[in-house]
Amino acid sequence: MPERREDSSKKALEYSRFYGGKVVVAPKVPVRSLEDFSIWYTPGVAAVSRAIEADADLSFEYTGRWNTVAVVTDGSRVLGLGNIGPEGALPVMEGKALIYNYLGGVNAIPLPIRAESKDTLVSFVKALEPSMGGVNLEDIESPKCFEILERLRSEMTIPVWHDDQQGTAGVTLAALFNALELTGRKLRGSKIVLFGAGAANIAAERLLVQAGANPRDLIVLDSKGILEPERDDMDKLMLRNRWKHDIALRTNGERVSGGLKEALSGADALVAAAGNGPELIKPDEIRMMNKKAIAFFLANPVPEMLPSAALAAGAEVVATGRSDYPNQVNNSLLFPAIFRGALDVRAKTITDSMVIEAAMELAAFAREKGISKKYIIPTMVQWEVYPQVAATVGQAAVKEGVARKKLSKKESLAAATETIEHSRKVMNALRRNGIILDPPE
Amino acid sequence: MTPQNRPKSGGGSPGSALQIRRARKEDLGAVADLIVRTKRLNNEFDPLFAVVPDAKAKAEKHVTGSIESIDRLLLVAAEGPKVVGVLRAEMRERLFYEPHMEGFITDFYILPEYRRKALGNEMIQRAATELKKMGAQIIVADVPAQNEIANRFYAKRGFRSLSNLVGMSP
Repeated sequence: MPERREDSSKKALEYSRFYGGKVVVAPKVPVRSLEDFSIWYTPGVAAVSRAIEADADLSFEYTGRWNTVAVVTDGSRVLGLGNIGPEGALPVMEGKALIYNYLGGVNAIPLPIRAESKDTLVSFVKALEPSMGGVNLEDIESPKCFEILERLRSEMTIPVWHDDQQGTAGVTLAALFNALELTGRKLRGSKIVLFGAGAANIAAERLLVQAGANPRDLIVLDSKGILEPERDDMDKLMLRNRWKHDIALRTNGERVSGGLKEALSGADALVAAAGNGPELIKPDEIRMMNKKAIAFFLANPVPEMLPSAALAAGAEVVATGRSDYPNQVNNSLLFPAIFRGALDVRAKTITDSMVIEAAMELAAFAREKGISKKYIIPTMVQWEVYPQVAATVGQAAVKEGVARKKLSKKESLAAATETIEHSRKVMNALRRNGIILDPPE
Repeated sequence: MTPQNRPKSGGGSPGSALQIRRARKEDLGAVADLIVRTKRLNNEFDPLFAVVPDAKAKAEKHVTGSIESIDRLLLVAAEGPKVVGVLRAEMRERLFYEPHMEGFITDFYILPEYRRKALGNEMIQRAATELKKMGAQIIVADVPAQNEIANRFYAKRGFRSLSNLVGMSP
């Protein structure tokens, strides 16, 4: 696997130089002659502007706003690389935009920005609202990302999504639903340990509870150990990370204190999003878990524990964030579909219940194909999953009253399928016509 | 002056009712722990309140003499045998001013999961009653200027700033 990584690093450097960027703003209207500019631009366009001025929501119909998402970061926590700055984050955001385009048919614009403070980032994102159908926040450090997302979600009327929180948590939830099913468990009553209290697991805790888990049966650990109401640093957390503070108060009904071993004693499932392994979690710790244990190791590129080691220590269903092991818990399964569905109904926000419904749909898709220990979640090649999840998200938005456009599920599915297929057709056509070249060998 | 709702028992605990009472000898270990937490919380607001390594031993000494003293008050909030809150105060004479006698709150802390349940209010009122019986004509509390949570708590209950202790690192 190190070989594989070296190979992809080498290629990434070569190809990035060759192509000079992964996405581009491209025309989608014909220019039959220069006369057409009097329609696409002045004087004709003024009529469109006036109509939108009278009804701002028409910007979703007359412009590309309906399908445009900004991928915004301050570069403060990029992949596993830490605070590498906005320029360093640009290739990552370009990659994200490409995935949005290819899997979700979303016109995503990479926008790493120089933002020294939370307020700068918040006001920048708010200022983008008129030209966007939504905003994807990416790679912003915790706990800053929680406050930023909360503020933007409450103050904006387009969906704001932080993929490292909602995306990872949503996919985790989908995989967990099927792992529980496979091992004969229900969410309610299962003891679930969340190891790592960063963006992903803080959001996972909230979604799990909203999906029906009993908070008393959840245990969350950060780098100092189990969160519990009498931990020494509770007052510090109250001031510096109220999300962890509140989790300490509402979870862990049995008041377990200590470390991972104590937490895993009698646990049914483990979701580790704690940092690179491969020996961050020990076989002895997995052995503390109940029979038919579920263990997810989500750190990339090196999972907290290797699946083979976890299985040997008695785990029954294992998932990682990696594509070269079975059961990849991969954000890319969710975010293109979530936004596809949200954009198609012109949603004003993406609520937690929309994420949970998307996770349930993702899980149901895998169940229809037949789940097993090695298949609890769809893979990215099963592309039919995207329009289906999109349609579910669209319906959830309509049901919750956050959709500007009230499509039926059938309409939602048709719209999503068409837009995603269109994106793929564009890619194929560009390649076929030699406009996008294959990389030099 | 009666609190609007009775304190409920803490989040996960099986829930015997909370009781505010004078501290007993067996409470002192827990009381000292809570007092150290107060000091650490102060440090979160101001680096000039860095807590000494032997704070726990000092806190124990600080509270030991406060039981059964005629001019000191040590109240605890307890859930069964468990101490969940503490309030320590002492009587002080104001040499040059009237009113002459003050009940001076030196330490006040409630464990996180017992907050926002009116327990703080109840403890302050109980302390005021006790201190009045001990001769206090006014009640004052020592709060670091930067600790906005404590300042807000007292301000909401009608306390106002009486004197300002100013400081600097030379």
